[in-house]
Amino acid sequence: MGDSTGSTKHLVEIDDVSKNFGANQVLRGVSLSVDRGEAVVIAGPSGSGKSTLLRCINALETIDSGEIRFEGRSVSAAGKDVYGLRAEMGMVFQQFNLFPHKTVLENVTLGPVEVKGIDRSQAVSKAEELLARVGISEKASASPADLSGGQQQRVAIARALAMEPKLMLFDEPTSALDPEMIREVLDVMRDLARDGMTMIVVTHEMGFAREVCDRLVFIDEGVIVEEGPPDEFFTAAKSERARDFVDKILHH
Amino acid sequence: MGDYWNVLRNNFPEIASGFLMTCRIVAVAFLIAMGVGIFVGALRAAPSKMLNRIGLVYVEFFRNIPLLVLIYIVFYGVNQADIVSLDRFVAGALCLGLYTAAYIAEAVRSGVFTVGRGQMDAALSLGLTQREALQKVVLPQAVRTVIPPIGSLIIAMTKNSAILGGALGVNDILHRTRQIYNDNFKFAETFLWATLAYLILTVSVTIIVRKLETRLAIRR
Repeated sequence: MGDSTGSTKHLVEIDDVSKNFGANQVLRGVSLSVDRGEAVVIAGPSGSGKSTLLRCINALETIDSGEIRFEGRSVSAAGKDVYGLRAEMGMVFQQFNLFPHKTVLENVTLGPVEVKGIDRSQAVSKAEELLARVGISEKASASPADLSGGQQQRVAIARALAMEPKLMLFDEPTSALDPEMIREVLDVMRDLARDGMTMIVVTHEMGFAREVCDRLVFIDEGVIVEEGPPDEFFTAAKSERARDFVDKILHH
Repeated sequence: MGDYWNVLRNNFPEIASGFLMTCRIVAVAFLIAMGVGIFVGALRAAPSKMLNRIGLVYVEFFRNIPLLVLIYIVFYGVNQADIVSLDRFVAGALCLGLYTAAYIAEAVRSGVFTVGRGQMDAALSLGLTQREALQKVVLPQAVRTVIPPIGSLIIAMTKNSAILGGALGVNDILHRTRQIYNDNFKFAETFLWATLAYLILTVSVTIIVRKLETRLAIRR
Protein backbone atom coordinates (compact mmCIF):
# COMPACT_ATOMS: atom_id res chain seq x y z
CA MET A 1 0.00 0.00 0.00
CA GLY A 2 2.30 2.75 1.21
CA ASP A 3 4.80 3.71 -1.41
CA SER A 4 8.31 5.02 -1.43
CA THR A 5 8.27 8.56 -0.13
CA GLY A 6 9.37 11.47 -2.28
CA SER A 7 8.77 9.59 -5.50
CA THR A 8 6.72 11.39 -8.12
CA LYS A 9 5.82 8.39 -10.13
CA HIS A 10 2.33 8.40 -8.64
CA LEU A 11 -0.01 11.31 -9.18
CA VAL A 12 -1.42 11.11 -5.66
CA GLU A 13 0.36 9.70 -2.66
CA ILE A 14 -1.40 9.42 0.65
CA ASP A 15 1.07 8.54 3.31
CA ASP A 16 -0.03 7.32 6.75
CA VAL A 17 -2.73 9.96 7.10
CA SER A 18 -4.77 10.37 10.26
CA LYS A 19 -7.59 12.78 10.86
CA ASN A 20 -9.71 13.50 13.91
CA PHE A 21 -12.92 15.39 14.34
CA GLY A 22 -12.64 16.14 18.03
CA ALA A 23 -12.41 12.83 19.85
CA ASN A 24 -13.64 10.99 16.79
CA GLN A 25 -10.81 9.46 14.76
CA VAL A 26 -12.06 9.36 11.18
CA LEU A 27 -8.89 8.29 9.39
CA ARG A 28 -6.28 6.09 11.02
CA GLY A 29 -3.03 5.78 9.19
CA VAL A 30 -4.39 5.60 5.66
CA SER A 31 -1.86 5.08 2.86
CA LEU A 32 -2.80 4.93 -0.77
CA SER A 33 -1.35 5.95 -4.08
CA VAL A 34 -3.05 6.61 -7.36
CA ASP A 35 -1.34 6.56 -10.73
CA ARG A 36 -1.97 8.79 -13.70
CA GLY A 37 -4.87 7.55 -15.78
CA GLU A 38 -6.16 5.30 -13.04
CA ALA A 39 -9.78 5.25 -11.92
CA VAL A 40 -10.09 4.27 -8.29
CA VAL A 41 -13.30 3.70 -6.39
CA ILE A 42 -13.39 4.17 -2.66
CA ALA A 43 -16.17 2.17 -1.08
CA GLY A 44 -17.20 1.51 2.46
CA PRO A 45 -20.04 1.83 4.92
CA SER A 46 -21.26 5.34 5.72
CA GLY A 47 -19.14 7.05 8.31
CA SER A 48 -16.12 4.99 7.31
CA GLY A 49 -14.10 8.09 6.42
CA LYS A 50 -14.15 7.79 2.65
CA SER A 51 -15.56 11.26 1.96
CA THR A 52 -13.19 12.77 4.49
CA LEU A 53 -10.25 11.10 2.76
CA LEU A 54 -11.36 12.57 -0.55
CA ARG A 55 -11.70 16.04 0.98
CA CYS A 56 -8.24 15.76 2.48
CA ILE A 57 -6.72 15.20 -0.96
CA ASN A 58 -7.59 18.74 -2.06
CA ALA A 59 -7.19 20.14 1.44
CA LEU A 60 -10.83 20.98 2.02
CA GLU A 61 -10.06 19.19 5.27
CA THR A 62 -6.78 19.44 7.13
CA ILE A 63 -5.04 16.31 8.32
CA ASP A 64 -3.59 15.68 11.77
CA SER A 65 -0.67 13.52 10.77
CA GLY A 66 0.90 11.91 7.74
CA GLU A 67 1.30 13.54 4.36
CA ILE A 68 -0.58 13.86 1.10
CA ARG A 69 1.35 14.61 -2.06
CA PHE A 70 0.11 15.60 -5.46
CA GLU A 71 2.73 15.14 -8.19
CA GLY A 72 5.24 14.95 -5.40
CA ARG A 73 4.17 18.30 -3.91
CA SER A 74 2.85 18.22 -0.39
CA VAL A 75 -0.79 19.22 -0.17
CA SER A 76 -0.90 19.11 3.59
CA ALA A 77 2.01 21.52 3.98
CA ALA A 78 1.28 23.66 0.94
CA GLY A 79 0.39 26.86 2.80
CA LYS A 80 -0.77 29.43 0.26
CA ASP A 81 0.20 27.12 -2.61
CA VAL A 82 -2.86 25.08 -1.72
CA TYR A 83 -4.98 27.28 -4.01
CA GLY A 84 -2.78 26.45 -6.98
CA LEU A 85 -2.87 22.76 -6.12
CA ARG A 86 -6.65 22.76 -5.83
CA ALA A 87 -6.88 24.41 -9.24
CA GLU A 88 -5.22 21.31 -10.67
CA MET A 89 -7.81 18.97 -9.15
CA GLY A 90 -11.48 18.99 -9.96
CA MET A 91 -14.08 18.04 -7.41
CA VAL A 92 -17.69 16.98 -7.79
CA PHE A 93 -19.95 17.00 -4.75
CA GLN A 94 -22.92 14.96 -3.65
CA GLN A 95 -25.14 18.06 -3.52
CA PHE A 96 -23.77 19.46 -6.83
CA ASN A 97 -23.08 22.84 -5.19
CA LEU A 98 -23.66 24.82 -8.35
CA PHE A 99 -23.62 28.56 -7.75
CA PRO A 100 -27.33 29.44 -7.74
CA HIS A 101 -26.79 33.14 -8.48
CA LYS A 102 -25.01 32.40 -11.74
CA THR A 103 -26.16 30.86 -14.98
CA VAL A 104 -25.03 27.42 -16.05
CA LEU A 105 -22.45 28.97 -18.38
CA GLU A 106 -21.15 31.34 -15.70
CA ASN A 107 -20.78 28.41 -13.33
CA VAL A 108 -18.43 26.82 -15.82
CA THR A 109 -16.46 29.95 -16.74
CA LEU A 110 -15.94 31.24 -13.18
CA GLY A 111 -12.89 29.11 -12.44
CA PRO A 112 -11.00 29.68 -15.70
CA VAL A 113 -11.69 33.43 -15.66
CA GLU A 114 -11.03 34.11 -11.98
CA VAL A 115 -8.33 31.59 -11.20
CA LYS A 116 -6.51 31.15 -14.48
CA GLY A 117 -7.18 34.63 -15.78
CA ILE A 118 -8.33 33.28 -19.12
CA ASP A 119 -9.99 35.69 -21.50
CA ARG A 120 -13.76 35.64 -21.02
CA SER A 121 -14.68 34.89 -24.63
CA GLN A 122 -12.19 32.07 -24.74
CA ALA A 123 -13.57 30.70 -21.45
CA VAL A 124 -17.09 30.87 -22.87
CA SER A 125 -16.28 28.87 -25.98
CA LYS A 126 -14.42 26.31 -23.87
CA ALA A 127 -17.42 26.13 -21.51
CA GLU A 128 -19.81 25.62 -24.40
CA GLU A 129 -17.64 22.81 -25.64
CA LEU A 130 -17.71 21.16 -22.20
CA LEU A 131 -21.45 21.60 -21.80
CA ALA A 132 -21.87 19.90 -25.16
CA ARG A 133 -19.63 17.11 -23.96
CA VAL A 134 -21.82 16.48 -20.91
CA GLY A 135 -24.91 16.84 -23.09
CA ILE A 136 -26.53 20.06 -21.88
CA SER A 137 -25.50 22.79 -24.29
CA GLU A 138 -29.10 23.93 -24.65
CA LYS A 139 -29.21 24.94 -20.97
CA ALA A 140 -26.19 27.25 -21.02
CA SER A 141 -28.13 30.38 -20.13
CA ALA A 142 -30.48 28.67 -17.68
CA SER A 143 -30.32 29.07 -13.94
CA PRO A 144 -29.19 25.96 -12.04
CA ALA A 145 -32.58 25.84 -10.34
CA ASP A 146 -34.19 25.12 -13.71
CA LEU A 147 -32.17 21.94 -14.13
CA SER A 148 -32.89 18.45 -12.93
CA GLY A 149 -30.51 16.92 -10.43
CA GLY A 150 -28.81 14.87 -13.10
CA GLN A 151 -28.34 17.92 -15.30
CA GLN A 152 -26.98 19.92 -12.38
CA GLN A 153 -24.45 17.24 -11.62
CA ARG A 154 -23.34 17.13 -15.24
CA VAL A 155 -22.87 20.91 -15.15
CA ALA A 156 -20.85 20.45 -11.97
CA ILE A 157 -18.63 17.99 -13.81
CA ALA A 158 -18.22 20.46 -16.69
CA ARG A 159 -17.37 23.19 -14.16
CA ALA A 160 -14.62 21.04 -12.70
CA LEU A 161 -13.31 20.01 -16.13
CA ALA A 162 -13.11 23.64 -17.23
CA MET A 163 -10.04 23.98 -15.04
CA GLU A 164 -8.39 21.20 -17.05
CA PRO A 165 -7.61 19.22 -13.93
CA LYS A 166 -5.10 16.41 -13.72
CA LEU A 167 -7.29 14.60 -11.23
CA MET A 168 -11.02 14.40 -10.64
CA LEU A 169 -12.45 13.74 -7.20
CA PHE A 170 -16.04 12.54 -7.03
CA ASP A 171 -17.73 12.61 -3.66
CA GLU A 172 -20.82 10.39 -3.90
CA PRO A 173 -21.82 12.09 -7.15
CA THR A 174 -25.03 10.11 -7.61
CA SER A 175 -26.23 9.70 -4.03
CA ALA A 176 -28.55 12.71 -4.15
CA LEU A 177 -30.04 11.77 -7.51
CA ASP A 178 -33.30 10.13 -8.42
CA PRO A 179 -32.67 6.65 -9.83
CA GLU A 180 -33.53 7.59 -13.39
CA MET A 181 -30.87 10.29 -13.41
CA ILE A 182 -28.02 8.26 -12.04
CA ARG A 183 -27.29 6.70 -15.41
CA GLU A 184 -26.71 9.99 -17.25
CA VAL A 185 -24.14 11.09 -14.68
CA LEU A 186 -22.37 7.75 -14.59
CA ASP A 187 -22.20 7.76 -18.38
CA VAL A 188 -20.34 11.05 -18.34
CA MET A 189 -17.98 9.69 -15.70
CA ARG A 190 -17.38 6.53 -17.67
CA ASP A 191 -16.47 8.53 -20.76
CA LEU A 192 -14.07 10.58 -18.68
CA ALA A 193 -12.36 7.47 -17.38
CA ARG A 194 -12.11 6.07 -20.90
CA ASP A 195 -10.48 9.30 -22.03
CA GLY A 196 -7.78 8.62 -19.48
CA MET A 197 -8.75 11.02 -16.71
CA THR A 198 -7.34 10.10 -13.33
CA MET A 199 -10.32 9.72 -11.01
CA ILE A 200 -10.96 8.95 -7.40
CA VAL A 201 -14.61 8.18 -6.88
CA VAL A 202 -16.43 7.68 -3.61
CA THR A 203 -19.60 5.86 -4.53
CA HIS A 204 -22.04 3.13 -3.69
CA GLU A 205 -22.58 2.41 -7.39
CA MET A 206 -20.96 -0.97 -7.53
CA GLY A 207 -21.99 -1.57 -11.13
CA PHE A 208 -19.99 1.50 -12.07
CA ALA A 209 -17.05 0.35 -9.97
CA ARG A 210 -16.99 -3.01 -11.69
CA GLU A 211 -17.37 -1.67 -15.16
CA VAL A 212 -15.19 1.41 -15.09
CA CYS A 213 -12.67 1.26 -12.29
CA ASP A 214 -9.21 -0.20 -12.23
CA ARG A 215 -9.06 -0.58 -8.51
CA LEU A 216 -11.41 -0.63 -5.59
CA VAL A 217 -10.36 0.53 -2.16
CA PHE A 218 -12.49 -0.63 0.74
CA ILE A 219 -12.42 1.57 3.84
CA ASP A 220 -14.00 0.78 7.16
CA GLU A 221 -13.65 2.70 10.41
CA GLY A 222 -10.94 4.92 8.98
CA VAL A 223 -8.70 2.10 7.80
CA ILE A 224 -8.14 0.70 4.34
CA VAL A 225 -9.24 -2.87 4.84
CA GLU A 226 -8.40 -4.09 1.37
CA GLU A 227 -7.85 -2.95 -2.18
CA GLY A 228 -7.71 -4.67 -5.52
CA PRO A 229 -9.49 -5.14 -8.82
CA PRO A 230 -13.24 -4.58 -8.37
CA ASP A 231 -14.19 -8.00 -9.70
CA GLU A 232 -12.00 -9.72 -7.19
CA PHE A 233 -13.52 -7.64 -4.43
CA PHE A 234 -17.04 -8.66 -5.29
CA THR A 235 -16.40 -12.31 -5.80
CA ALA A 236 -13.56 -13.08 -3.45
CA ALA A 237 -13.09 -10.39 -0.82
CA LYS A 238 -10.38 -11.40 1.60
CA SER A 239 -11.69 -9.83 4.76
CA GLU A 240 -14.84 -10.61 6.68
CA ARG A 241 -15.82 -6.94 6.80
CA ALA A 242 -15.52 -6.57 3.04
CA ARG A 243 -17.55 -9.73 2.43
CA ASP A 244 -20.19 -8.38 4.80
CA PHE A 245 -20.27 -5.11 2.92
CA VAL A 246 -20.48 -6.76 -0.49
CA ASP A 247 -23.25 -8.98 0.80
CA LYS A 248 -25.25 -5.99 1.99
CA ILE A 249 -24.99 -3.93 -1.16
CA LEU A 250 -25.51 -6.78 -3.58
CA HIS A 251 -28.46 -8.38 -1.81
CA HIS A 252 -30.60 -5.61 -0.48
CA MET B 1 -57.86 72.26 6.42
CA GLY B 2 -57.07 75.60 4.81
CA ASP B 3 -54.45 76.25 7.50
CA TYR B 4 -52.56 73.12 6.57
CA TRP B 5 -52.44 74.11 2.91
CA ASN B 6 -51.44 77.64 3.76
CA VAL B 7 -48.50 76.44 5.83
CA LEU B 8 -47.35 74.27 2.95
CA ARG B 9 -47.87 76.98 0.35
CA ASN B 10 -46.09 79.67 2.36
CA ASN B 11 -43.14 77.48 3.25
CA PHE B 12 -42.82 75.17 0.30
CA PRO B 13 -39.24 76.12 -0.69
CA GLU B 14 -38.01 75.53 2.87
CA ILE B 15 -39.82 72.22 3.23
CA ALA B 16 -38.60 71.09 -0.19
CA SER B 17 -35.01 72.02 0.57
CA GLY B 18 -35.27 70.22 3.93
CA PHE B 19 -36.56 67.21 2.08
CA LEU B 20 -33.67 67.30 -0.37
CA MET B 21 -31.19 67.70 2.48
CA THR B 22 -32.60 64.63 4.21
CA CYS B 23 -32.31 62.77 0.90
CA ARG B 24 -28.66 63.80 0.68
CA ILE B 25 -27.96 62.70 4.25
CA VAL B 26 -29.65 59.36 3.65
CA ALA B 27 -27.81 58.82 0.35
CA VAL B 28 -24.37 59.54 1.80
CA ALA B 29 -25.03 57.57 5.00
CA PHE B 30 -26.39 54.71 2.91
CA LEU B 31 -23.21 54.46 0.86
CA ILE B 32 -21.06 54.52 3.99
CA ALA B 33 -23.31 52.05 5.81
CA MET B 34 -23.35 49.57 2.93
CA GLY B 35 -19.65 49.82 2.13
CA VAL B 36 -18.44 49.59 5.70
CA GLY B 37 -21.23 47.22 6.74
CA ILE B 38 -20.50 44.64 4.05
CA PHE B 39 -16.78 44.89 4.72
CA VAL B 40 -17.17 44.45 8.49
CA GLY B 41 -19.73 41.71 7.93
CA ALA B 42 -17.17 39.90 5.77
CA LEU B 43 -14.62 40.27 8.58
CA ARG B 44 -17.15 38.82 11.00
CA ALA B 45 -17.69 35.82 8.74
CA ALA B 46 -14.05 35.35 7.76
CA PRO B 47 -12.32 32.13 8.77
CA SER B 48 -9.62 34.02 10.67
CA LYS B 49 -10.13 34.58 14.41
CA MET B 50 -8.22 37.83 14.27
CA LEU B 51 -10.41 39.31 11.53
CA ASN B 52 -13.49 38.13 13.44
CA ARG B 53 -12.34 40.03 16.50
CA ILE B 54 -11.67 43.22 14.58
CA GLY B 55 -15.16 43.00 13.12
CA LEU B 56 -16.64 42.25 16.52
CA VAL B 57 -14.95 45.27 18.11
CA TYR B 58 -16.38 47.48 15.41
CA VAL B 59 -19.87 46.10 15.80
CA GLU B 60 -19.88 46.25 19.59
CA PHE B 61 -18.45 49.76 19.63
CA PHE B 62 -20.96 51.30 17.27
CA ARG B 63 -23.92 49.29 18.50
CA ASN B 64 -23.42 50.19 22.12
CA ILE B 65 -23.14 53.95 21.94
CA PRO B 66 -26.25 56.04 21.43
CA LEU B 67 -26.15 57.62 17.98
CA LEU B 68 -26.61 61.05 19.52
CA VAL B 69 -23.58 60.62 21.76
CA LEU B 70 -21.55 59.37 18.80
CA ILE B 71 -22.50 62.45 16.81
CA TYR B 72 -21.54 64.77 19.67
CA ILE B 73 -18.22 63.00 20.16
CA VAL B 74 -17.34 63.15 16.49
CA PHE B 75 -18.56 66.64 15.71
CA TYR B 76 -17.55 68.50 18.86
CA GLY B 77 -14.66 66.21 19.73
CA VAL B 78 -12.97 66.35 16.35
CA ASN B 79 -13.54 70.05 15.92
CA GLN B 80 -12.26 70.75 19.42
CA ALA B 81 -9.12 68.75 18.71
CA ASP B 82 -8.66 71.19 15.84
CA ILE B 83 -6.86 68.84 13.49
CA VAL B 84 -9.45 68.80 10.76
CA SER B 85 -12.60 70.81 10.79
CA LEU B 86 -15.68 68.75 10.19
CA ASP B 87 -18.74 70.09 8.49
CA ARG B 88 -21.98 69.37 10.38
CA PHE B 89 -23.32 67.50 7.40
CA VAL B 90 -20.17 65.42 6.95
CA ALA B 91 -19.86 64.60 10.64
CA GLY B 92 -23.54 63.71 10.93
CA ALA B 93 -23.77 61.61 7.78
CA LEU B 94 -20.52 59.85 8.66
CA CYS B 95 -21.77 58.94 12.14
CA LEU B 96 -25.15 57.83 10.85
CA GLY B 97 -23.45 55.65 8.22
CA LEU B 98 -20.89 54.12 10.57
CA TYR B 99 -23.55 53.47 13.20
CA THR B 100 -25.90 51.77 10.73
CA ALA B 101 -22.95 49.82 9.29
CA ALA B 102 -22.63 47.91 12.58
CA TYR B 103 -26.17 46.57 12.18
CA ILE B 104 -25.69 45.87 8.50
CA ALA B 105 -22.51 43.94 9.32
CA GLU B 106 -24.49 41.68 11.64
CA ALA B 107 -27.17 41.16 9.01
CA VAL B 108 -24.50 40.32 6.41
CA ARG B 109 -22.81 37.93 8.80
CA SER B 110 -26.01 35.99 9.41
CA GLY B 111 -26.61 36.05 5.65
CA VAL B 112 -23.20 34.53 5.03
CA PHE B 113 -24.05 31.68 7.36
CA THR B 114 -27.26 30.95 5.47
CA VAL B 115 -25.13 30.23 2.39
CA GLY B 116 -24.23 26.58 2.75
CA ARG B 117 -20.75 25.26 3.40
CA GLY B 118 -20.99 23.49 0.06
CA GLN B 119 -20.80 26.79 -1.82
CA MET B 120 -17.51 27.66 -0.16
CA ASP B 121 -16.23 24.11 -0.81
CA ALA B 122 -17.15 24.32 -4.48
CA ALA B 123 -15.50 27.71 -4.90
CA LEU B 124 -12.33 26.60 -3.11
CA SER B 125 -12.19 23.37 -5.10
CA LEU B 126 -11.91 25.47 -8.28
CA GLY B 127 -8.80 27.08 -6.85
CA LEU B 128 -10.31 30.34 -5.65
CA THR B 129 -8.75 31.80 -2.52
CA GLN B 130 -10.87 32.19 0.60
CA ARG B 131 -11.23 35.85 -0.19
CA GLU B 132 -12.20 35.34 -3.83
CA ALA B 133 -14.66 32.65 -2.77
CA LEU B 134 -16.27 35.07 -0.33
CA GLN B 135 -16.32 37.87 -2.91
CA LYS B 136 -17.50 35.94 -5.93
CA VAL B 137 -19.65 33.21 -4.48
CA VAL B 138 -20.69 33.58 -0.87
CA LEU B 139 -21.27 37.32 -0.46
CA PRO B 140 -23.34 37.82 -3.63
CA GLN B 141 -25.73 35.17 -2.33
CA ALA B 142 -25.61 36.44 1.23
CA VAL B 143 -26.44 39.98 0.12
CA ARG B 144 -29.56 38.71 -1.58
CA THR B 145 -30.81 36.92 1.50
CA VAL B 146 -30.16 39.98 3.64
CA ILE B 147 -31.96 42.50 1.46
CA PRO B 148 -35.14 42.41 3.58
CA PRO B 149 -33.37 42.94 6.93
CA ILE B 150 -31.12 45.57 5.38
CA GLY B 151 -34.23 47.29 4.04
CA SER B 152 -35.53 47.60 7.61
CA LEU B 153 -32.18 49.00 8.69
CA ILE B 154 -32.20 51.61 5.93
CA ILE B 155 -35.70 52.67 6.93
CA ALA B 156 -34.52 53.00 10.53
CA MET B 157 -31.54 54.97 9.27
CA THR B 158 -33.78 57.30 7.29
CA LYS B 159 -35.73 58.08 10.45
CA ASN B 160 -32.55 58.37 12.52
CA SER B 161 -31.32 61.01 10.09
CA ALA B 162 -33.57 63.48 11.91
CA ILE B 163 -30.95 63.51 14.67
CA LEU B 164 -28.75 65.59 12.35
CA GLY B 165 -31.41 68.25 12.24
CA GLY B 166 -32.23 67.91 15.90
CA ALA B 167 -28.73 67.84 17.34
CA LEU B 168 -26.48 69.51 14.78
CA GLY B 169 -28.90 71.89 13.14
CA VAL B 170 -28.34 70.47 9.65
CA ASN B 171 -31.09 71.93 7.48
CA ASP B 172 -33.04 68.72 7.02
CA ILE B 173 -36.77 68.10 7.15
CA LEU B 174 -36.92 68.24 10.94
CA HIS B 175 -34.81 71.38 11.31
CA ARG B 176 -36.65 73.26 8.57
CA THR B 177 -39.99 72.30 10.05
CA ARG B 178 -38.95 73.48 13.45
CA GLN B 179 -37.88 76.82 12.00
CA ILE B 180 -41.24 77.20 10.31
CA TYR B 181 -43.03 76.32 13.53
CA ASN B 182 -40.97 78.88 15.43
CA ASP B 183 -42.37 81.51 13.09
CA ASN B 184 -46.00 80.45 12.89
CA PHE B 185 -46.62 78.56 16.15
CA LYS B 186 -48.92 76.20 14.29
CA PHE B 187 -47.70 72.83 15.49
CA ALA B 188 -50.03 70.31 13.86
CA GLU B 189 -50.30 72.29 10.61
CA THR B 190 -46.51 72.40 10.31
CA PHE B 191 -45.43 69.00 11.54
CA LEU B 192 -47.99 67.20 9.40
CA TRP B 193 -45.78 68.07 6.43
CA ALA B 194 -42.65 66.80 8.13
CA THR B 195 -44.46 63.55 8.88
CA LEU B 196 -45.56 63.22 5.28
CA ALA B 197 -42.08 64.06 3.99
CA TYR B 198 -40.53 61.28 6.11
CA LEU B 199 -43.28 58.90 5.05
CA ILE B 200 -42.58 59.60 1.39
CA LEU B 201 -38.95 58.69 1.98
CA THR B 202 -39.51 55.56 4.05
CA VAL B 203 -42.27 54.24 1.79
CA SER B 204 -39.99 54.81 -1.22
CA VAL B 205 -37.25 52.83 0.49
CA THR B 206 -39.75 50.05 1.16
CA ILE B 207 -40.80 49.96 -2.48
CA ILE B 208 -37.20 49.91 -3.70
CA VAL B 209 -36.38 47.07 -1.33
CA ARG B 210 -39.38 45.05 -2.53
CA LYS B 211 -38.34 45.61 -6.13
CA LEU B 212 -34.78 44.56 -5.42
CA GLU B 213 -35.98 41.50 -3.59
CA THR B 214 -37.97 40.24 -6.55
CA ARG B 215 -35.35 41.27 -9.10
CA LEU B 216 -32.44 39.59 -7.33
CA ALA B 217 -34.34 36.62 -6.00
CA ILE B 218 -32.40 33.42 -6.54
CA ARG B 219 -34.56 30.58 -7.63
CA ARG B 220 -33.74 27.42 -5.74
